[in-house]
Amino acid sequence: MAEMNTSGGGGHKKGKKVRGKKMSTRVDLTAMVDLGFLLITFFMLATTFNKPKTMEVNKPAKDDIDKKDEPPIKMSKTATIMLGKGDKIYAYVSPDEIDATTELQLDSIDYSPKGLRKFIQRRQSEVQEQWGNKDDLFIMIKPLPASSFKNIVDALDEMTINDVKRYAILEPNDPIDSLVAARAGQSRK
Amino acid sequence: MPKVKIPRKSTAIDMTAMCDVAFLLLTFFILTTKFRAQEAVQIDIPSSTAQIPIPDRDIMLFQIAPDGRIFFGLDDQPTRLKLLDRLSSEYSMPLSDKQKEAFRTLEVWGMDIRSLPEFLDKDPAERAKLQQPGLTIDTLGGNHQVEDLILFSRQENNNLRIAIKADKTTEYRSFDKLIQALQNRKVNKFNLITSARLAKE
Repeated sequence: MAEMNTSGGGGHKKGKKVRGKKMSTRVDLTAMVDLGFLLITFFMLATTFNKPKTMEVNKPAKDDIDKKDEPPIKMSKTATIMLGKGDKIYAYVSPDEIDATTELQLDSIDYSPKGLRKFIQRRQSEVQEQWGNKDDLFIMIKPLPASSFKNIVDALDEMTINDVKRYAILEPNDPIDSLVAARAGQSRK
Repeated sequence: MPKVKIPRKSTAIDMTAMCDVAFLLLTFFILTTKFRAQEAVQIDIPSSTAQIPIPDRDIMLFQIAPDGRIFFGLDDQPTRLKLLDRLSSEYSMPLSDKQKEAFRTLEVWGMDIRSLPEFLDKDPAERAKLQQPGLTIDTLGGNHQVEDLILFSRQENNNLRIAIKADKTTEYRSFDKLIQALQNRKVNKFNLITSARLAKE
């Protein structure tokens, strides 16, 4: 096969016709293979393989927020999750009307499937029971300043996983939010 | 007794097939991968189940480091030059051709716009070593540098999409500042860059 033609032309025997030396057409490819693998190594190290994915976020335009003509959403259709420092989530459901006797149940959960996902699914089934359509659920995501970017991505991701149709990233400006933040010992500003 | 002679075989192997494989793999890597962009700062992106691939062209990229510094980059070199022209007239800083050329190849940068000329004067090795302080961002009025960048870039290239690449540990506070700046410039739609992950059961 591709062995080197080491025997050379050899001496021509006397009496034979002098012919043009027949050269082997085989080339030693070892060097080429070396080069090939060198380039492969270079490309493997200098390039990135998987293209990052993106998550689209649409924020309501600032002018829209100021418009107050839309009727406020029923609080019993909502759930609020506040993302706090140290990978903690404070989840609560605001009551429709607040008076002196109102009690608020505040859950402190995490980002695991048992935490946030369970909370969302529980809320979905509650809304389903009360209003007949689980897609009516509106989740307000309120990141506190000390929460991390990963927390927001995880929370948004959880919306996709649980197929929550309506959600928004809002600022924690409610009076309840400040109470919750204060009780959890997290700064709101 | 005659010795049993083991026929001596050639140690040379046929390299043709191996060569074919090597170059096939090489072609594969050249075609499927993308050169790793030069990074001003190391960013570890979070993962998500999002499936939308990042568009190939016309991207305005904001990077947010864990410490909150914000960096800016445009992928398209002609747009970069147009942006630089706008900046040099708006901020009244004349630039030499050498500085422009340096800016054209600058993938990502983050500093006060007024200190750009000085930065562009340095040679590439020195630039790579320098810790960039991050863009000057002030959403409460006064210094509109980031908003200017958004506005000018979008005026120069209308198809730009905004991508935000932030570290896992970046605090929401710096992310929010950038969002405020974007929203002040009527950008309400943007992409967060994440790496792919399978949904947990």
